[in-house]
Amino acid sequence: MALLARTIRRSLLESRNTLPPTFLLPFRAHITTVSHNLEPGNVPDAVLQSGQHISKDLKAKVHSPPSPSKAASKPDSPAPKPSANAREDVVSQAITPSIRQMLPLLHSQPPHYLTVHIHGRPYLLTAGDTLRLPFLMPHVKPGDVLRLNRATHIGSRDYTLKAPEPVKGTRDHGKKVYYLDESLFVCRARVVGIESEPMRVMEKTKRRQRHVKHVRSKMKYTVLKVSEVEVKSLEEYETLLKVG
Amino acid sequence: MSYFRITLMRSGIGLPPKTQGVLKALGLRKRMTTVYYPVSQSVAGQIMRIKELVDVKEVEHAMTKEQMRAARRPDPGYYIERRGTEAMRGYEEV
Repeated sequence: MALLARTIRRSLLESRNTLPPTFLLPFRAHITTVSHNLEPGNVPDAVLQSGQHISKDLKAKVHSPPSPSKAASKPDSPAPKPSANAREDVVSQAITPSIRQMLPLLHSQPPHYLTVHIHGRPYLLTAGDTLRLPFLMPHVKPGDVLRLNRATHIGSRDYTLKAPEPVKGTRDHGKKVYYLDESLFVCRARVVGIESEPMRVMEKTKRRQRHVKHVRSKMKYTVLKVSEVEVKSLEEYETLLKVG
Repeated sequence: MSYFRITLMRSGIGLPPKTQGVLKALGLRKRMTTVYYPVSQSVAGQIMRIKELVDVKEVEHAMTKEQMRAARRPDPGYYIERRGTEAMRGYEEV
């Protein structure tokens, strides 16, 4: 029985490997960088150019056919993790054609927002935001500069660069969470201070007894201020990829 | 050396004491607990007793509880780029 199951699993794995990684499929690539409902196809040019100017060379770059992207490093490792409920964080470092096309447009449209993940939880941030984390961050003091390096979305008014959707885990393979390449953006936050909530008193009672126990709690939270959100241009990103 | 990865999918509540005893012997205390045991006849027999409750897979390496926790933990998503005290050092000397 076990042998049969193993062969079935192997055949499944092989069929998965023949497909390109999900984020390279054209449908996914289309979804990743196009804004929510304003597809460039169905929005008139006048509307697209109303708020911001897109310089001529930039437009020429967009309309030129995308050059074939470099050999993408495969983020999918074929060997599944032995542990159930495991989790894998994948940072995709590939220039897909859609990134090549749309990153100049996204870069030309400051200010930007990011969906940054801290300990796996998303926070939507722009420069100048104050973020009160729901926990006390260990080993940091006010004045420290943090570099936030896990993001799933980079967005401007009209464009959003999205990382692929996370893949839900099963018994056989763990959850897979995709993040954008960390050399695509720079996000710095400064620890501003520690905030604490007003003291909470919870009354604990037991049946048929007059005694009431009071449990006090007062949580502390770290406060960050986002000092810098910078999105790299395509040229900078390419040079960074070559160096790194 | 290969191991059985045994995960308790269904609770043993309401089952005969013998079955619950097997669960206790394997260290499966509550649902979704995962334990690793080397492949052997005695463990295979124990699994047969509780086969309706567990998910079994043969894996190459066993993982400790700490390793399983670490595999579940997400990336912190930040690192400390500069300490505030380092930035102030120049001012204190002057």
